[in-house]
Amino acid sequence: MAFLELHHVSKSFQGSVAVEDFNLNADLGEFVSFLGPSGCGKTTTLRMIAGFEIPTAGTITLDRQDLTFVPPNKRNVGMVFQSYALFPNMVVSDNIGFGLEIAGKQKSQIAKRVAEMLTLIHLEDFGSRYPNQLSGGQQQRVALARALAIQPQVLLLDEPLSALDAKIRLELRQEIRRIQQQLGITTIYVTHDQEEALSLSDRVVVMSEGKIEQIGMPSEIYNYPKTEFVAKFVGQINLLPVEMVDREKGLVKVGEQLVHAGQTLDKVNGHQVRLAVRPEELNPGFRENANNLTGKVEAITYLGSIVRLRVEIEGHSVSLDMFNERKLQLPNVGSPLSITFPVDACWLL
Amino acid sequence: MKTRRLNLWALFWAAAGLLYFFLPMYGTLDFSLRMKKGVLSLLAYQVVLSDPQFLASFRYSALMGVITVIVSTIIFLPTIYWIYLRLIKIRPVIEIITILPFIIPVIVYVFGLIRTFGRPPLQLTLTPFKTDILITAGYVVLSMPYMYRAIDVGMRSIDVRTLTEAAQSLGAGWHQILLKVIVPNLRIAILSGALITFALVMGELILGDFLVRPALGPYMVQVGRDRAYEPAALAMLSYGLTWLCLGLIQLVSKGGTSQQQLTGR
Repeated sequence: MAFLELHHVSKSFQGSVAVEDFNLNADLGEFVSFLGPSGCGKTTTLRMIAGFEIPTAGTITLDRQDLTFVPPNKRNVGMVFQSYALFPNMVVSDNIGFGLEIAGKQKSQIAKRVAEMLTLIHLEDFGSRYPNQLSGGQQQRVALARALAIQPQVLLLDEPLSALDAKIRLELRQEIRRIQQQLGITTIYVTHDQEEALSLSDRVVVMSEGKIEQIGMPSEIYNYPKTEFVAKFVGQINLLPVEMVDREKGLVKVGEQLVHAGQTLDKVNGHQVRLAVRPEELNPGFRENANNLTGKVEAITYLGSIVRLRVEIEGHSVSLDMFNERKLQLPNVGSPLSITFPVDACWLL
Repeated sequence: MKTRRLNLWALFWAAAGLLYFFLPMYGTLDFSLRMKKGVLSLLAYQVVLSDPQFLASFRYSALMGVITVIVSTIIFLPTIYWIYLRLIKIRPVIEIITILPFIIPVIVYVFGLIRTFGRPPLQLTLTPFKTDILITAGYVVLSMPYMYRAIDVGMRSIDVRTLTEAAQSLGAGWHQILLKVIVPNLRIAILSGALITFALVMGELILGDFLVRPALGPYMVQVGRDRAYEPAALAMLSYGLTWLCLGLIQLVSKGGTSQQQLTGR
């Protein structure tokens, strides 16, 4: 039996469905991210685990204990909020020790635990500061320490890095993962940032319109998306409408150009078929025993470490990513270009 | 050039406003100091302050003021907190209800109180103690617009819902959240509301007069009818008390913007 289980959980607000038939088993010490666009139900699901929302249907169990109707203050679940939610009237030490004080721990125990937490988040000298005397990143670290001080069974993080700038976000992301692994605490992390979800998690739950689209390890989610939504939402994807040529051999046509889809077409009967291929799988040039397409360069965009070419192929725009090496030779806009990609780099949706 | 003319106009109106406000006050102050013929003295103040009836009415109103502040805080703080937490949609309705004391004349309100609570089954005018309960309830209603708004502004300045949820996730129950998280962050708002309420009760006339209680307001009116210089001295003392309350509000508000986190912001 899993440590944290959500079993057929649903939630409606005045008739509108926010979460529908959500099932998840998270193991002890696992880091699971809920990934999806705004309004997909990820935060509502997190809030149901925290106890701030009561499911309309289904059950939530933690370590075999049914938590579905247990009030939030009786759950032993730590939560970190997007807006930090530090108590403005308390200094950092008091914020971190708040949960322990509520639990009736002795002052010496509280002081010891607070010191441990301050060391864990590398803010040993900040115990006597008020929240408004800290930077956003420091405040979020304190919020994390406060949530962990009570030694919760599960740590919940609701878009904790959204309010921070890019550099701090990256630093804190690594910090969160380090602390989570150090403590071995089961963690549920809500984000709309795919990079965050993929880099932090043991497993990712991709959600859309209140439903789970796919659950899997980051590599599965990225390399083998099960639905068009996942393919589009996680990373960049080229989706080209194709015509079937040979069902058994898996041959399709993009306009007038043949492509080997790398799979038989039995499973895609009866609906519009599209060829999916990631921009980084495409290369300029021609290769034997690979798929090759020709088109015309529409645009070139510099994105720092990569350069994105937009190539028009049979009336469709296709993105191609290249590493931005110093000696990179780029074609001119408007010039013809052949692109190539391995047969197993593409699939049909 | 235009700016300069505008500034002169602004100065002119500011001066006119100040004169309009301070001239009568100066007149009252001057008059209050002329009880002894031909010299300026504090005799009127001495007479007022040594009058046992003044001290009794002052004590009574101050006590009623303190009780009103406590009752108002106990009623409004949890109510407004709950509105912000769970019933935010009804806030506009509550706002309208809270300004009713401005719309309904106090005299109408007092007659309503007397008609309702001056006869069975809810008769509260038979003993002084019961009448004090009635007058306190009246003061709470009259001070509602000030107390509500002061706490409302405080609530608006903090993220009540997230702070509550953060405290809940750390194991806190409702009374712990209210006392350890919400109230400390609303200290200035509550203090402001309390001081305005106190000042209002100290100067209130109609409730004390019609419910026949020894409040400061009716005493001041009585003195005004019977004597010449003492009412002016009383008026100045009354101004002083109100300004003291306002000064205290300013003082604690100033503290709130410092690093001492009085407001919690």
